[in-house]
Amino acid sequence: MSRHPGRPLSRRTILRGLGGAAIALPWLEAMAPRRARAATGATKRFIVMFSANGTIPSAWTPTPGTADTDFTLSPILSPLEPHKADLVVVSGLEQKGGGGDGHQTGMGGMLTGQMLNAGPFAGVGAAPAGWPMGPSVDQRIAEGLAVPTKLRSLELGVQVGSADNWGRMIYRAANQPLPPDDDPASVYARVFSDLHTDPAVLARLRRRRQSILDGVGAQFTRISGRVGSADRQRLDAHLTAVREIESRLTTDLVVNNPSCKDPVVTPVSAGANDSFPAVGALQMDLLVMALACDITRVASLQWSRSVSQTRFSWLNITEGHHDLSHRPDDDAGAVDKLTRINNWYATQLAGLINRLKTTPDGAGGMLFDNTVVLWCNELAKGNTHGRVGAPYVLAGSAGGALRTGRFVRYDGQGLPHNNLLVSILNLMDVPDRTFGKPDWCTGPLTGLL
Amino acid sequence: MRRRCSALFVLPALLAAAGCGGDQQVSKEDIYPLCSSDPGPAPLRRITRFELGRTLSDLTGVPASISDGLPPDEKTLGFDDIAAAYSVSSLHAAAYLDAAELAGATLAADAVRLAAVAGCDPTAGDSACVSSFIDAFGRRAWRRPLESDELEAMQQIYTDTADPGPSDGIAGVVAAMLQSPQFLYRPEPTMATDSQPLEPYALATRLSLLLTGAGPDDALLAAAASGALDSENGLLAQTDRLLTGSRAAELFVHVATQWWELDAVPALDKDRALYRTWTDATPGALAEETRLYLTDAWQGTPNMKTLLTAPVTFVDANLASFYGLPAPGGTGFQRVDLDPTRAAGVLTQGSFLAEHAKADQTSPVLRGKFVRANLLCDPPPPPPPDIVVMPPTVDPRLSTRQRFAQHTADQRCASCHAEMDPIGFAFEHYDAAGRWRDIDGGQPVDASGMLTGTDVDGALDGVPSLATRLGGSAQVAGCAATQWFRYAFGRQEVSTGDVCTIGRLTSALRSGDFRTMVRATVRMAAFRNRPPEASP
Repeated sequence: MSRHPGRPLSRRTILRGLGGAAIALPWLEAMAPRRARAATGATKRFIVMFSANGTIPSAWTPTPGTADTDFTLSPILSPLEPHKADLVVVSGLEQKGGGGDGHQTGMGGMLTGQMLNAGPFAGVGAAPAGWPMGPSVDQRIAEGLAVPTKLRSLELGVQVGSADNWGRMIYRAANQPLPPDDDPASVYARVFSDLHTDPAVLARLRRRRQSILDGVGAQFTRISGRVGSADRQRLDAHLTAVREIESRLTTDLVVNNPSCKDPVVTPVSAGANDSFPAVGALQMDLLVMALACDITRVASLQWSRSVSQTRFSWLNITEGHHDLSHRPDDDAGAVDKLTRINNWYATQLAGLINRLKTTPDGAGGMLFDNTVVLWCNELAKGNTHGRVGAPYVLAGSAGGALRTGRFVRYDGQGLPHNNLLVSILNLMDVPDRTFGKPDWCTGPLTGLL
Repeated sequence: MRRRCSALFVLPALLAAAGCGGDQQVSKEDIYPLCSSDPGPAPLRRITRFELGRTLSDLTGVPASISDGLPPDEKTLGFDDIAAAYSVSSLHAAAYLDAAELAGATLAADAVRLAAVAGCDPTAGDSACVSSFIDAFGRRAWRRPLESDELEAMQQIYTDTADPGPSDGIAGVVAAMLQSPQFLYRPEPTMATDSQPLEPYALATRLSLLLTGAGPDDALLAAAASGALDSENGLLAQTDRLLTGSRAAELFVHVATQWWELDAVPALDKDRALYRTWTDATPGALAEETRLYLTDAWQGTPNMKTLLTAPVTFVDANLASFYGLPAPGGTGFQRVDLDPTRAAGVLTQGSFLAEHAKADQTSPVLRGKFVRANLLCDPPPPPPPDIVVMPPTVDPRLSTRQRFAQHTADQRCASCHAEMDPIGFAFEHYDAAGRWRDIDGGQPVDASGMLTGTDVDGALDGVPSLATRLGGSAQVAGCAATQWFRYAFGRQEVSTGDVCTIGRLTSALRSGDFRTMVRATVRMAAFRNRPPEASP
């Protein structure tokens, strides 16, 4: 049982004390020794963006030129033209995975590079599957961060639907899905509470919660000792989650970035189909603000879920996305609609990049300068459920670690996407040489960084 | 070749093997414990979001919707309470914290409720009163008396959080109890070597959550304390008491709604250019119609025949207008009689019909597959992996039946779709929004179909003909009992003991109704006993 001594005063606490409002003041070194930047480099950030049901490869693949820096963006990727110099488009990898039906396999393996365990979720034409056998790449990055942030990672979504392995992509560890929060109001209340709570109230709340959570943790330990071993694992996982929210209480939010402001969340019907774009825009605002405030450095945005049936009415498309994705290649109408859907997602990515490019980093420059965004999909192609040539787009250089403005092709080489995931780890200063299922991964991608 | 008996639906074969047919009647000669002393596995169950909201409401007065802030429960086998599926994350922990704090603060500000719990005013700071509050509230929240060191631990939390005043301490200790595993989970004392009867508080917990979807009330805890639950009569007396309340009706609606795949109805939408009468209010009204229908069925005679065939429903003026029915008298939703040549229970309600359809067209496949999988427990095999699966394009000149002709023309499709489409075609008088139609694709609707591979095979013409067959089917009753078993025990059926239990439940349903089946459930060994821990 731990009792927590009083924390150092946060900068915001002092600001509140001075005048109540958040004002830009010079960074005071002494206030937050734990937050000091590593001498070696800037604060790097990693974001995953997911969209579903595969792409139209012919409309996604850029036209290559004479060198990897010489390429023309495709119809789907054209909204990213203003950011072309900041992109690395990666083609030809096989998105590995196993267990479950095509969508389950793809969704579970996409960020973990792992098989699914056997489990309770019965897919189409496959044995029932559970959760992946290992963590997702973003969680490995979060684990590797030298400096603890208020939130270890932030999982956001837009209409992600039911809780199963079609709708989860982020895994804390094997069998531990992290559900995305798809309600902006709830994200605002939980993630930004430190910014809109009176410091005195906040300090008292922290003390209370520490007492309460200490007691709760002790009860978990107590009951865990009385149940069978399988049940004990469930309770121990819960205790870990309790400890994690407890650690948030003891991690002061130190605001050293004038662009960190308590965000404004306009009311929106988070579950209504036609609110999809508006909810996504709010979530992107919140995600970027969480990075600006350094509440977290690892975040994800999950648009819908695998087998998404979102109806893109705002593009005058009435069919559900998944139904459309099963149309054959010679259905020109469906190909056009799917191209427009994927193009719309590219527009959203461009919007996310814009936000990052226009939000100052507390240490100078813009957030985007030290960020990498990965846009991925559980499938390469919806009507085959194929995963060879799954569409990956990286945006941002992670402080110059990634040479951008390139179209890098691995077509025909039979390489697993695990190699891309390792390369991303390396970009984020995690020096691992393998990731995911060991016999799939053959090391970092040659020629990517 | 039929590819049947997937791992999930082994029941018919097991039933035959166990010689435990569905036609036996539950009689007084039955020897307790029913269906062998092997209760089957009993994995640790979590309080579902549904149960959490209702229980917090009972305990503290917060609205049950407080649990909407939690991540959704993992759903598998059709239900939200399957123990093999749930996971936990820091988002869960944060949401539990929020709910527990709000519940604690709400209770601490409710002098009447506090006095009812403690028999005194714990916010006055009198330590004896605080102790009696912790003791009494803890017993309700943890569904058993607190042990002495638990009382001490909770007392410590009160002391630590009673700042600035005692009512903060009450809120604090309540928040702690409501985040503890004894509240959020259902830990049961383990059995070392043999299956044994559950201790009474664990039995009371099972009973209350099963029958009401909420934790035990004071009367049930008192029955556990007095030993009344140790006898079958005592157990049944509490069962009958709980079954009469509105909580039991709500629980029935909760289970049936999941079984009929209707939980997402409030979020349904349709192509409004094609279905112009569909408005933002429609899906909520359709869900309310079915809720009222199921509640009414529960209060009457909730057997399969009623659920499947009763030509009645509930509409208000707006929904009547949506359906093209005359406006009911009175205000709000009213029970109305429908044309029995058209209407048949839930199967002809807009909620079911619209849920099992596409946004822009009906789906004989979805409707037929539902009947196969959820009512007959005989799901069709999946499509071959080399087939591109897609619904046909909407064409205003062609009927649905014509547009789905490829399913019979292409041999690779035909073998499986022959099990679904001819059932689904019987629904063709109902469009994708759930309204009656006589014309489809410019042609008179042909709602003929065929039911095959069941115990009630035969030609169909419209939904009532299908519903009448299903309503008299032993296979459908067995399937309903299987669905109930999965919800009731939070798991897949796996053992011959389970098969026997389901056989008993089937008999109870066939000889009576759902109420009879629920009452039979609590007598089963699977309900009253707990297995020994599996050896490592």
